[in-house]
Amino acid sequence: MIDWDVHNSWSAAQELLPYLDPYHRDALVRGELPGGRHSFPHAHRPWLHPEGFMRTDAVPEDGGPPGSDYDLLREQLLDRYDLEYAILTGEEGIEISTLANPSFASALARAANDWMLAEWLARDPRLKGSLVVAPQDPVGAATEIRRLGGHPEFVQVLVSSGAQRPYGDPFYQPIFEAAAEVGLPVAAHLGGQGGVNANPTGCGPPTFFWEAHALLSETGMGHVASLIAHGTFERFPDLRFVLIECGVAWLPALLWRLDADYKALRKETPWLRRLPSEYAAEHIRLTTQPLEQPKEELHLWAALEAIDGERTLLFASDYPHWDFDDPERVRLPPAWRERVFGENARELYGLPVAAATGG
Amino acid sequence: MCAESELVPGASIVREVEGLSVGVFNVGGELYALRNHCPHRGGALCRGPVTGTALPTSDRSYLYGREGEIVRCAWHGWEFEIATGRCLVDPRLRAKTYPVEVDAGSIYVVV
Repeated sequence: MIDWDVHNSWSAAQELLPYLDPYHRDALVRGELPGGRHSFPHAHRPWLHPEGFMRTDAVPEDGGPPGSDYDLLREQLLDRYDLEYAILTGEEGIEISTLANPSFASALARAANDWMLAEWLARDPRLKGSLVVAPQDPVGAATEIRRLGGHPEFVQVLVSSGAQRPYGDPFYQPIFEAAAEVGLPVAAHLGGQGGVNANPTGCGPPTFFWEAHALLSETGMGHVASLIAHGTFERFPDLRFVLIECGVAWLPALLWRLDADYKALRKETPWLRRLPSEYAAEHIRLTTQPLEQPKEELHLWAALEAIDGERTLLFASDYPHWDFDDPERVRLPPAWRERVFGENARELYGLPVAAATGG
Repeated sequence: MCAESELVPGASIVREVEGLSVGVFNVGGELYALRNHCPHRGGALCRGPVTGTALPTSDRSYLYGREGEIVRCAWHGWEFEIATGRCLVDPRLRAKTYPVEVDAGSIYVVV
């Protein structure tokens, strides 16, 4: 008798270390390792950061993950930069979008939101929360938005930029309906690549982490085009959509293209009343990090002027990730600083001026 | 331009007149003339198809209408209202229009 399928197992992946060459051994020792006993359930993206994607100076004394220790976060971010508010986006929460089971994904969302409220938002008035929802479960997501969206500590609904289809698709309408009802912006944060979600780049998967990371803004482009084309902002005239960590310099070029193609083929979407660029200016907001870094900063500033960057950009640091933008070193036109570093977010999220600063 | 009998409702012609290219359209018995030059990129506006269009709607629905009132530029497909020369997407953008006169069975365009 021959048995063609018998599973043997290592007790830990580290048993493989002596069998690996030194270069790849290093990735297993210090690199990002999805899964494991204490991991959060999600289908991981196929690109793994070879050094782990965290600032190595942000590891707390207890050895826990960067961002897991309030005191260190306060010291390195809130107090260090005298922040008025920090909008928390969680770490792995948005990755629920990669799970096949929508019911499980929504259960994890509810748990993550209750955890956010109890463990973080109650702690410091400078911290505001993002309400994570499972986009593959639009009805469950809408229920969650109505359950907690009215809580003053939550300032936006959050999904991953990785998705099964672009967010203007009627499939997602319950999410936008609920967000409009409770008056929260919907934000899509870079992530959710893998699992049931569509490949984030049109010509097939890139190979390397940095190569993929630079290209992941593609999903943001798809969502912007889709939300505008499907008339989301006609249907929900007060709705705002925020793209987080998807880059910014591509938006002017995309809008130029959308405007031109819409002018020729408006008959496909006769429910639109304005040019795509006009919807974008009113309804789309982008966070700055990782801000593109041309050799000559004026090249970037000229592009951002085309999307009225002073009013459409929101500063973000991405603490404690490896591509953190230091607010003191972000290169934007000085005249834009007040709005991009505060006023725009204050308006968008309806935040009162100056929470009591701690420290 | 041509004999009145040549231009039945729904028909259009393009003629060169003293170096100027002009199209004449019969829209339901009314005659209109447009310069055969699209204000978008200078394309052959009047060589494009005469069509209807998707009327403004709401909530992802479609309603076809205005059959025969629209010309789609032959180059990039921008839609123009034949009667006024106005672009449907941006009414501030207009194709040049000319008065049309009929005299003794012939159609004339006043340029």
